[in-house]
Amino acid sequence: MTLTHHLLLGAALFLIGVFGALTRRNIIGILMSIELMFNAANINLAAFNHFLHPEGVLGMTTALFIITVAAAEVVVGLALVLAIYRNCESVYAEDFNLLKG
Amino acid sequence: MFNLQLLAPEIVLSVLALALMAIDLILPTRRSQLPYHLGWISALVALACVVATLATSSQGAGPLWIVDPFSQLFKAMTLLAVIVTFLLCLEYEDLSLSQSGTFAALLLLSAVGLMLLVSATDLLFLFVSLELVAVSSFILAGFERRNRKSNEGAIKYFLFGAFSSAIFVYGLSLYYGAAGTTKLLILSQNGSSLSLWTPVLTGLGRQGPVLLLAMLFLLLGFGFKAAMVPMHFWVPDVYEGAPMPVTTFLSVAPKIAIMGVLLRVFTLLVPASGLGLTGLLALLAILTMTVGNTIAIFQDNVKRLLAYSSIAQAGYILIGIVTANSLGLEGVLLYSAVYIAMNVGAFTVLQAVGKNGSYELSAFDGLSRRSMALALTMAVFLLSLAGIPPLAGFIGKFYLFAAAMEAGRAAASSSSKNIFYALAVVGVINSVISVYYYMKIVYHMFFLPPHERSSAPAIGPYLLAVLAVCLAGVLAFGVWPEPLIAQMRISAVHLP
Repeated sequence: MTLTHHLLLGAALFLIGVFGALTRRNIIGILMSIELMFNAANINLAAFNHFLHPEGVLGMTTALFIITVAAAEVVVGLALVLAIYRNCESVYAEDFNLLKG
Repeated sequence: MFNLQLLAPEIVLSVLALALMAIDLILPTRRSQLPYHLGWISALVALACVVATLATSSQGAGPLWIVDPFSQLFKAMTLLAVIVTFLLCLEYEDLSLSQSGTFAALLLLSAVGLMLLVSATDLLFLFVSLELVAVSSFILAGFERRNRKSNEGAIKYFLFGAFSSAIFVYGLSLYYGAAGTTKLLILSQNGSSLSLWTPVLTGLGRQGPVLLLAMLFLLLGFGFKAAMVPMHFWVPDVYEGAPMPVTTFLSVAPKIAIMGVLLRVFTLLVPASGLGLTGLLALLAILTMTVGNTIAIFQDNVKRLLAYSSIAQAGYILIGIVTANSLGLEGVLLYSAVYIAMNVGAFTVLQAVGKNGSYELSAFDGLSRRSMALALTMAVFLLSLAGIPPLAGFIGKFYLFAAAMEAGRAAASSSSKNIFYALAVVGVINSVISVYYYMKIVYHMFFLPPHERSSAPAIGPYLLAVLAVCLAGVLAFGVWPEPLIAQMRISAVHLP
């Protein structure tokens, strides 16, 4: 396992996340895809820390920060999904079409 | 060398925001407007702290942040926008008053995030402040919980915001890999002198491609937040769905703060010209101006029209960031200040007119017969947004276009000369296009008969105060801009 393997894994995860976020119709699905993108960055950070900059733990701590912040973001996101589900009984993106022009 | 005292305004404001949340719990009468009043008073206190550090030597750098006249100006502008938002909230009836404490605290926390943002010199710090702003504004945009439009705007804002954060974070991870740190700026070992982080400054060495990719991802992340084309899709929906005061806030404060960050990161800390990104930035500026102005022509809802107009306005500000000369720097500051006055003014009139529930163009029909003063005020703001002299918007635009011409004159190669000249030309053409849709509102106000049973919009003391201040600013600085220009020249001083 070299740095390249880890970076490839990260890049693949990131691309899967981007693809999912752009093509999913279910909002929960989009949320999960975005989480994949965050985790791709975390894998990168940990890998860079281990292979290129082993003298500190900055990469690891940055990953911890990102995990925490992403969790906070998802909490707000799920609350918004609940709010909209109460009003429209749907979590599918194409049903949210009041705003356009 | 920790220098935590430099962040005193932010610390004061965070404490006040948390105190506001606590006070809200023990307030005897719920459903009161008291939190809004406490909110603008808190922002005023923080503004006093910022002003106190505006001119003195209490500026410098900490490990993750830097406090200079440049950042203090953006903080002052953010706080002014927050104060105005609270005043607008006092006369906005659709917000449920039982949650006013939460609303006020969130607005203040989002202001804290914006203030930290313009001071940050570390990508991790930048990311956390960006998320503080984002998470609070997601909730603010969806604050009318029973309103489907508000829900829909908030969820779209959230999805695009989270997506852009993820892109930003991926860029951050690549930057860490290339540079071995998340800092954009380091303090040298021997005391207080500042130096740029050398691997970044010398740029494209062995790690060049990775660094370039990292900066591209970061630019993309910022681009979403600043609503650059082609990352602007969320703007009209969010602006239309959000409660009116929140729309005013979103159209002004985050936009200007992100411009401040872009200016700091891409012209001062990691110059875009050193990475060969000037052409890309110029392309983004041209697209942002053109697409914003073109789509605005076809809008019938004034909230959406002003949303597209604010996209285009961001494009003008981007010109100053692309040119990266001192004239451009001052131009960005000047235009940001003027933009706050005219945009807040236009949105305030819209809030007054839209009180009957409709923000369509037809709500403006015959406004001059119903309230001549309001119609004239709106006309002044719209003309200023279009950049017609002798209003303040003209001075700002003049500065930015002059910066582009100056950069073109100073450019070494003929291709980069062309980029800068093209920027100025496209900017002028776009100003002409924008006159059309701004005048469409004026046409509805002055030349169409009012609907039956439509009365003059009621304006309370707070809206009146906001309008008076904005109008005075737009008129005074248009006719006599010297004091503002002098202030911007002082504020354009930056470390390092």
